[in-house]
Amino acid sequence: MLQVEALGKHYGEVVVFRDVTLRVAAGEFVALVGESGVGKSTLLNCIAGLDDADAGRIVVDGVDLGQADENARARLRRRQLGFVFQAFHVLPHLSVAENVALPLLLQGRPDAARVEAMLDAVGLAGLGRRAPAQLSGGQLQRVAIARACVHRPRLILADEPTGNLDPVTAARVLALLHEQVREAGAACLLVTHSEAATARADRVLRLTPRGVELCASR
Amino acid sequence: MNSRAVAAAAPGQGESSLLQLLPLLWRQWQHHPWRHALLVLAVMLGVALAYSVQLINDSALSEFDAAARAAEGEPDFSLRARSGALDEALLDRLRLQPGVRQASPVVEAETYAQAQAHMDAGHTAGTAAAAARVPVRVLGVDALALSEVALQLMPRPAADEGRLAVLDPGAAFVSAAARQRLALADGDAIALQHGSGWQRLRVAGSVAAGGGPLVVIDVAAAQQLFGLPGRLSRIDVRLQPGQDAQALLQALALPADVRASTGAQASQRLATLSRAYRINLAVLALVALFVGGFLVFSVVSLSVAQRTPALALLGVLGLTARRRRQLVLVESTLLGLIGSALGLLLGAALAALMLRVLGGDLGGGFFAGVTAPPLALRSGPVGVYALLGVATAIAGAWLPARRAERLVPAQALKGMGLEGDPGNDAAERSARQTRALGLLLLAASGGLALLPPLAGVPLAAYASVAALLLAGVALVPTVVALLLHSRGDPQQALVLLARRRAQHQRATASATVATVVTSLALAVALTVMVASFRASVTSWLDAVLPADLYGRIASSAAADQAWFGAALPAAAARLAGVQRVQAQRVRLISLAPAPPAVTLLARPLPDPEHSLPLVSPVAPARDGEPGAWISEAVATLYGAAPGGTLRLPISEPALRVRVRGVYRDYARQAGSITIDAGDYRRASGDERLNELAIWLEPKADAAAVLADLRASRPEAALLDFATTAELRATSLRIFDRSFAVTSYLQAVAILIGLVGIATSLSAQVLARRKEFGLLAHLGLGRAEVLAIVAGETALWLLAGTAIGLVLGLAIGAILVYVVNPQSFHWTMEMTLPAARLALLCAAVLVTGAAAAAWSARHALSRAAVLAVKEDW
Repeated sequence: MLQVEALGKHYGEVVVFRDVTLRVAAGEFVALVGESGVGKSTLLNCIAGLDDADAGRIVVDGVDLGQADENARARLRRRQLGFVFQAFHVLPHLSVAENVALPLLLQGRPDAARVEAMLDAVGLAGLGRRAPAQLSGGQLQRVAIARACVHRPRLILADEPTGNLDPVTAARVLALLHEQVREAGAACLLVTHSEAATARADRVLRLTPRGVELCASR
Repeated sequence: MNSRAVAAAAPGQGESSLLQLLPLLWRQWQHHPWRHALLVLAVMLGVALAYSVQLINDSALSEFDAAARAAEGEPDFSLRARSGALDEALLDRLRLQPGVRQASPVVEAETYAQAQAHMDAGHTAGTAAAAARVPVRVLGVDALALSEVALQLMPRPAADEGRLAVLDPGAAFVSAAARQRLALADGDAIALQHGSGWQRLRVAGSVAAGGGPLVVIDVAAAQQLFGLPGRLSRIDVRLQPGQDAQALLQALALPADVRASTGAQASQRLATLSRAYRINLAVLALVALFVGGFLVFSVVSLSVAQRTPALALLGVLGLTARRRRQLVLVESTLLGLIGSALGLLLGAALAALMLRVLGGDLGGGFFAGVTAPPLALRSGPVGVYALLGVATAIAGAWLPARRAERLVPAQALKGMGLEGDPGNDAAERSARQTRALGLLLLAASGGLALLPPLAGVPLAAYASVAALLLAGVALVPTVVALLLHSRGDPQQALVLLARRRAQHQRATASATVATVVTSLALAVALTVMVASFRASVTSWLDAVLPADLYGRIASSAAADQAWFGAALPAAAARLAGVQRVQAQRVRLISLAPAPPAVTLLARPLPDPEHSLPLVSPVAPARDGEPGAWISEAVATLYGAAPGGTLRLPISEPALRVRVRGVYRDYARQAGSITIDAGDYRRASGDERLNELAIWLEPKADAAAVLADLRASRPEAALLDFATTAELRATSLRIFDRSFAVTSYLQAVAILIGLVGIATSLSAQVLARRKEFGLLAHLGLGRAEVLAIVAGETALWLLAGTAIGLVLGLAIGAILVYVVNPQSFHWTMEMTLPAARLALLCAAVLVTGAAAAAWSARHALSRAAVLAVKEDW
């Protein structure tokens, strides 16, 4: 599903990472750890086609990002990628259901039933009409997970999704994310510092300035 | 701190003072210098424009006042006849009256002068070249009785003249302006027009009085020259120290037709006459400041929106809600102060430049004679405009400051619970209150428009305009919601996003379009008013200029010493090519002491109901009672109406006339009265004529007819002739010049409005960059994000333009039907210049969209990946 080969990125003289090579297969849940500032989020942005690498190659679902123009990358994100962020990023002026429905609407295929099903799946059944301001942090992250999965993406990129949550809520959210990824048959690359998160991963990779090392595998 | 100390602490104790918070503001200004510079610029431009107009008018008025005081002197009081002239015998009585220190006789006349070079030597009949005539004020004075009353008028003989030249009936003493306009040197001959003839005098020296061209001669010579033997225009009286003027006047027991007045009447009358014009111009100049207030609102609203996380953090750290509001208000006050100070400086510089370039006249024609007056800097207006600037900044910042006060820090830190977010009850309540306020203001506007003027000034009408504008801005969100109203949920992401934002971000909507609504509304209103006025003036000109050729011997009715006799129209009527001739007597009369003089027009009136541009029903004529037709100004100022009577001071006793109808007269703001020439001659015995209208045969050549007329009657050379087309073109040129200043002020208002759009959108896009960042992650391309911004902007602009247009038309109606009649005492029909209005709206839409595209592109240049890294 995701192939990253010999990827390098630098800002001027400062090398962020180099020679990063990794693969994530469909249905696989991979955790990426590393020290702060080592370039984990930058790597996710490169994989999402939002940032350009300086060396190497990224192929997502058979699409070589180096060969894709901005529109093609946007299309890829719209159809095949799902995102979960540390800071939820739920649009405050849309209702909960509208936030979840956004990826479907962006593809021009509204599906109220699917949205309901997703809300139900993440434990927010009956809260679709609520405003985000009326939800707790854990509930908001569940909205974000529902939004990331609602359009059945092939690859989910999650950047510290439990960073803002207490351990109990974080564990629930992680379980939910894991479950949704499995159910959708998607691949997931999860950037995290959380041991609880790594414990759920099929593989744990460590990003270092010299490349990616395998830390654990199940 | 123990619990007792806590209990004893007063509310607010332990809270940081505003002074301690100033470094926060300073940091903020350093971080966003352009945003705050814009706020300063809005206040500065508004204050500068308003203050410069005030300064120009003040300077012109004070220069005119100084000149008038110089010409009239500074007596304790002056005696004048209610109509005509005073009997000279009164002078002897005054001089013998105990308590009178000096009584100075004056003969006043407005006429024309020519220099020797333009005259045939020794000629006393009017054959001189008309081009060299210069309008002058002539004062006949007693040089021996001037010292205590009007030193400025004291004749100063030239070096080669004897001291007794001041009593020489052939000597004239000229002011610097007369000397310059007529290119006169001491010893030159100067001729003064009396009727159609000329009287030659010798330039024997100077007078110090400033202002327009002035010629001072001996009072006896003036009486002889202007046919006023034994008569005086006025007597200026200086009293002994300690003498009470009222007691002396009672002791004098003056005849009923003599009235006493104090002060410089000319400048008072000009001040009265020009007051409405000056106030209207001042209000117009305040438009920029008013629109600037909405720009302040936009800038501060979006600044607060953008700073919400910072304000919320301060709230979490212990800054009270009240302090948050004060912080925003203090910031605006400080910036307003800077803007006001800069605006006053710029305004003074602008005024100095305008006075140098245009003189004292901004287009109204009231101060046309005042050239390059010095700046009349006074502390009062400086304080008023400085306060207005600061008040504008505070008023503009008030609502955003309240929003900063109301935000819930914990929610706001998470990017939730902001005003406009669904589920925010306070915001919903505030939206309902704003809507109710808008409707209330709308109703108040209607009520205010129906109120009469206050002290002759349409203050209630202006308040009505302001209420209408505020109502418009308050109702913007409601209108946008109506525009977006449809059943069901949108199934298209971009539509959903646009609609939800429009429905919930009401405050942002108001901030974005407030400047568009106000500036467009005011521009539309002014366009409608000027177009209506111009169309009405055009049709009025068609009605009042039925002949082919018009000639007049003096450019002003005040020039009472320039006239011609009946022989001239009779000769004109006999010429080949002339179908018909009509002569008219034009003079000024005073119907009351205080208001400016009214113009009396006496001419044959065979069919007044069709020859006058009537605006009222016609009252029937009464046998043996002369009829009079009055202008709208006379009807308003003197409470006259068809069927009522007026007393015209053209005879002794005054002629009682029956008012038959009211007509429109855009040429004479102080009013005019038209009566039949026969009635006038019978009552006054005055056979003089001033103006001539000539109807030509179908194929007659106007130039040839004029040549024949000048050949047959020498005094015809003194008349300025113009064809109807020329008069029409000149009148409309003067009209356009009068309103040129409104176009400039309108342009500034529009410019401020457009800057407002660009600022609002730019800041909005910046404030929404996290939203756009998220959308980019969800698969939206840059073009699609731009499409969202463009779509929403188009919607806002469309709503703003629609509201601005409707409001503008309503304000236009108030200007046409309320402000103009209350200010200038004339009515007009409302005209809608559809093409110009469409162009105006299109210009605002296109430039607004361009500003939006530029600001969105600029703001979106920041990478989306950075946006989502920021906390909400």
